[in-house]
Amino acid sequence: MDLLGDVAGSPLLRRALFEVVLVGALGGVVGTHVVLRRLPFATMALAHATFPGVVVAHLLGLPLVAGSGGMAAGLALVLARLGATSAVDASSAAGVVLAGSTAVGVVLAASGPSPAIDLSAFLVGSVLTVAPADVIATVAVAGLIVVVLAALHKELVLSTFDPEAARAMGYPVGRLDVAMLVIVALTLVVSVPAVGVILSVALLVAPAVAARQWVSGVGPTMALAAVFGAMSGVGGLAISHRWSVAAGAAMVLVAAAIFVLSVVAGPHLQRNGRSSPLTDGA
Amino acid sequence: MFGDLLAPAFMQRALLAATVVGIVAGCVGVHVRLRRRAFVTDALTHTVFPGVILASVGDYSLFLGALAGALVSVGLLATLRARRLVGDDDLLAVVLTAFFAVGVVVASRRDSFAADIGAVLFGRILTVSSADVAQMALVGALALALVAALHKELVLRAFDPAGAEAQGYRLGALDLALDVAVALVVVSGFKAVGTLLVVALAVTPPAAAWLCTRSLAAATAVSVALAVAAGWSGLALSAVASRHEVALPPGATIVVLVTLGFVAVLAASSWRRRAQLVA
Repeated sequence: MDLLGDVAGSPLLRRALFEVVLVGALGGVVGTHVVLRRLPFATMALAHATFPGVVVAHLLGLPLVAGSGGMAAGLALVLARLGATSAVDASSAAGVVLAGSTAVGVVLAASGPSPAIDLSAFLVGSVLTVAPADVIATVAVAGLIVVVLAALHKELVLSTFDPEAARAMGYPVGRLDVAMLVIVALTLVVSVPAVGVILSVALLVAPAVAARQWVSGVGPTMALAAVFGAMSGVGGLAISHRWSVAAGAAMVLVAAAIFVLSVVAGPHLQRNGRSSPLTDGA
Repeated sequence: MFGDLLAPAFMQRALLAATVVGIVAGCVGVHVRLRRRAFVTDALTHTVFPGVILASVGDYSLFLGALAGALVSVGLLATLRARRLVGDDDLLAVVLTAFFAVGVVVASRRDSFAADIGAVLFGRILTVSSADVAQMALVGALALALVAALHKELVLRAFDPAGAEAQGYRLGALDLALDVAVALVVVSGFKAVGTLLVVALAVTPPAAAWLCTRSLAAATAVSVALAVAAGWSGLALSAVASRHEVALPPGATIVVLVTLGFVAVLAASSWRRRAQLVA
């Protein structure tokens, strides 16, 4: 196949391939928790929230990752705090954070002295210009996240499925929620250079939902989601290489295809039916 | 001072556009808040993207392209929701990113890529024409008519879904109707103010209003007032800033102000709550 041959000869492509496999797999693993804890919209908000961080970092001459990571982590705390109060529902909180942070980013970018940051790369990614430093960052963050998720596995699963019991047993459910959002924020920070803001959310949702159609149990779901995520990365890169379309978008479309196939053909071992009339939006 | 700032025709049109969006988004947004489905609004703003891009490639009306994209995605969501296989938020996330990806693929084969995305996200409120404003008002009025006609049913469905079902209402159909209303809000506003602003005005003012009152009528009034006030002050602030050689993009400024308004309301309401507990 074209891609394999070219990869052998091009360090750029090798890096891109490695990056998309990592980002895809990480997305699948973290995405399992995103789906189980009903965090897709919060994830979307955090993805947008990286934008002002990038702008501020750019204006201050700091590494962009520091800006996006700091801003996303900070807003993860805000989201967790807002979600803990009963006054504002989780959905509105995510919406306010999403719109507000993007607007702040736009205002800062416009009033700053330097020319506008490449908005399109931020939105849709630019995997072929991923630098070795980005790959190293991805490996480091992925390693850290996997270790944390493994260490907190029991607590996370219990607080997802039975928060009352978790609280009664003395687990700090609130802090687990914050930790989860920060993990999502870190995943987004390393995914955004590869696939961009909006599409990184896809890699955090679609592979995990697809995996849930085939296997039950959190561990197996994470493993299969990682596989689906990596497949989306490789498939998307191959399509992008062959037909000269944006790589990030191609990856999302592969992930969506896997999702559709799984929903249609999978054995549906777990009922995902959270969209019953009584629980819709609750 | 404001007289000469706001006098020019383009500014008058911008103020009118902001008012229209504020009223429409503020009203429909309250119903979305009741159902806690702010995600739908954000999702639909991304799903119009491929429709807009395809329309601009084929030189059709951008407005019709956006409408087609929004209605297709609303229909798709309704059919997939009926299957009950996937959670609502997950479905929204996948559909919105897939549609957006389609738009990106189409746009990436053109040169004006960045400009396309920029225009869709942020709109051009200072360059709206009278025809644009008329179009916005018409589509916005349709959205308002839809939620007004179904007001009681939508409220019942939000607060007592089991009761609504028992009375024979089809919840799926009501959800579809609200989604269509949101789609109309997005389509009415995106060209002038951009998708970002539509989301902000449809989510933030209702959230702030709901902190002040639990009466639906009062909440709608507060929501619309906040949205329109943010629109006008954002435009005024942006105009003043440009006088002093500072670039404050009007759309983004409006969103920042409405967010600050929300923060103020949140702070006030939590102080009040704390005061009540102490007293």
